[in-house]
Amino acid sequence: MKRWAAGVAAIVALVLVTAVSGVTAPQTTLEFWTISLQPFFTDYVNGLVAGYRRANPGVQVKWVDVQFQAVEQKLLAAIAGGVPPDVVNLNVEFTSRIAERGALVDMDAAVPAADRAKYFEGLWSSGRFKGRSYGIPWYIAPPVLIYNGELFKKAGLNVLTPPATEDAMIGAAKRVKDRAGVYGFMPPLDGTRLMYLFLENGLPVLSENGKLAVFNSPAHVAYLQKYMDLFKADYFPDDTLRRGFTGAVERYSAGQLGILLVGPQFLLRIKESNPEVYAKTFVAPYPMGKGRVIHAPLMALAVPKASKNHQEAGRFALYVTSDENQLAFSKLTVIFPSTKKAAADPYFRQKGAGPEWQARAIAVGELKFGRDLTVVVPNQTELFKIFREAVEGAFFGKMSAKAALDWAVREWNARL
Amino acid sequence: MPVRPAPKPSAARGLGHALNPSGARGSGRRTTLVAYLFLLPALALLAIFTFYPVIFGTVLSLFEYDVINPPRYVGLQQFQRLLSDRYFWIALTNSAKYVLVVPVIQLCSILLAVLVNRPLRGVGAFRAAYYIPVITSWPVVGIMWTWMYDQQGVVNWVLRGLDLVARPISWLNHPTITLYAVMFVTLWKGLGWYMVIYLSGLQAIPVEYEEAAMIDGASRSRVFWHVTIPLLRPYVLLASLLSTMAAVKVFEEIYVMTRGGPFFSTYTMFMYIFDKAFEELNMGYAAALALVLAAILLVLSAINFRVFRRGGLEWY
Repeated sequence: MKRWAAGVAAIVALVLVTAVSGVTAPQTTLEFWTISLQPFFTDYVNGLVAGYRRANPGVQVKWVDVQFQAVEQKLLAAIAGGVPPDVVNLNVEFTSRIAERGALVDMDAAVPAADRAKYFEGLWSSGRFKGRSYGIPWYIAPPVLIYNGELFKKAGLNVLTPPATEDAMIGAAKRVKDRAGVYGFMPPLDGTRLMYLFLENGLPVLSENGKLAVFNSPAHVAYLQKYMDLFKADYFPDDTLRRGFTGAVERYSAGQLGILLVGPQFLLRIKESNPEVYAKTFVAPYPMGKGRVIHAPLMALAVPKASKNHQEAGRFALYVTSDENQLAFSKLTVIFPSTKKAAADPYFRQKGAGPEWQARAIAVGELKFGRDLTVVVPNQTELFKIFREAVEGAFFGKMSAKAALDWAVREWNARL
Repeated sequence: MPVRPAPKPSAARGLGHALNPSGARGSGRRTTLVAYLFLLPALALLAIFTFYPVIFGTVLSLFEYDVINPPRYVGLQQFQRLLSDRYFWIALTNSAKYVLVVPVIQLCSILLAVLVNRPLRGVGAFRAAYYIPVITSWPVVGIMWTWMYDQQGVVNWVLRGLDLVARPISWLNHPTITLYAVMFVTLWKGLGWYMVIYLSGLQAIPVEYEEAAMIDGASRSRVFWHVTIPLLRPYVLLASLLSTMAAVKVFEEIYVMTRGGPFFSTYTMFMYIFDKAFEELNMGYAAALALVLAAILLVLSAINFRVFRRGGLEWY
């Protein structure tokens, strides 16, 4: 009889424990997608997630890291399959493309004005689609000018007076090629990056109302022609148009490139792949053009409309992009926060050993000019493809600079 | 009156008849049923992964669909749009050029198969060596050849070492040569696969045929062209068919090595379908493109059947 009673008591206790644990178990699970943060930032993101769970005991966060090339397709498949993430890390190009389909939550409406004011206005409005923002700015990396001191010396250039303008940079790159025997630079001309150069130099891509393409003025043509002449004279490698900054970083890391124009976070990659080149590396401000603006690729956090937890997802996105969390992230690598308070932290003005400290101080000064210059237009992929064809056609001698830009403008205007 | 003995089951009438004296019809039905039961798993997989997508894709080509919003019926509009779509014609032209790799790859693999069919010492190692590219994944092959094709890569190093070129060639950055450079990689990777098909064909040909021709005074090349090749024709048909389909559907090597560039010179039909579907989110248009490609493949397959149907041991 005693044994029977003990058995009943045990069952009752088990039921009670289960019921109690059921009450305290997380009620909401958020799925959070990041782009290529594993393995370098695994601890940081796990720490973020744990912090949020501690502050919000009813919320469980499932973190999924996705490769950059796969994120758009995976997101679409997840939305179509009815299992979207709740918070997803996207760049401006992806954000506007998916927002065009009406699949993202309007952040201008979802985030209170007081919270919106914490971010740099230029970053909050980067990539607005039809006047609305669909992503909360996360981190940004304004480019800097990285150069190989040894190659500069071989070319007879003064290492301590780096080129301050685009034309001075081209001049230095030509000297490196002529005297040191390796390419001086790989200008950012792949894909649609010529658009950023246009904008950085005060040459508009669209009319003020955004309804017409206007990138075929004589100034645009002359600008393109300048690079075509450099290409023809073999002043930059012919894989520049195909490989872009990936090829440039590889070439620089191998000691085969004089100047590199990339975000300062790439210094860590150079340091890892070739410490000898890293030791000869100097950093200078990005040569700003007449537009007084610098293209700084921005990462943002978006909430798909198909998520069932809009409010909680929005709260989590604000938590990830809060001053403290962005500052902590910026200390792990050479990236910069999108919030004004975090960017004003004395940490960014500290002096330290190595080019990355130099780069950090330079890039933080560029933040006020930094903007993601991705041109946001309807039918973006198709229009970008046309632009790419025109630019490549000009570089490979299929069309003149004027004919290429005139053709692309006609095609754009027929579709805008 | 003599009693007729009950008929014994004969082997010709089969075990089924012996076990089922009610008649051959019932037994036949059962055999068919058993056969279908065995086929069922494969048919189910085919239905899910082939027939359903084909039917779905055909229906989808009549709709505008971007994955996120509900599909909108547009009839045959997307097929009409194809005719004035310049990227469709660029992609189709590049895919047509890519088919040129088929005769080259077939000829090279037949020659290679003849070579490794000889009873030479260590020939197994050669066969394995030629097959290694086949089992190597496309990303690995693509990255490896991208490095080899680099201006400072091994291809230019060899060519310059042999004084065949004055300055390094930019194999993957020149619109006039890049397509052919990628085609060469397709050739290199596929050679071993077709070689194995031809090797099995060569080993199925009885040696008496070639011996008889040689006794009659035929030279080696005459034996090859007039005995070996005609007897090998069913294998040529199979290999050409597979190779044509692979060439028209080429994607991986392009995606890894050039992404369709430079100046769209390697932009093939599958690249365009991929772009339309996953970059522009125009699934309906991508489905229409895929249907047109399927129709082209049907025509090319019919041509292959027409050209190579006569031949083989059974034909003669």
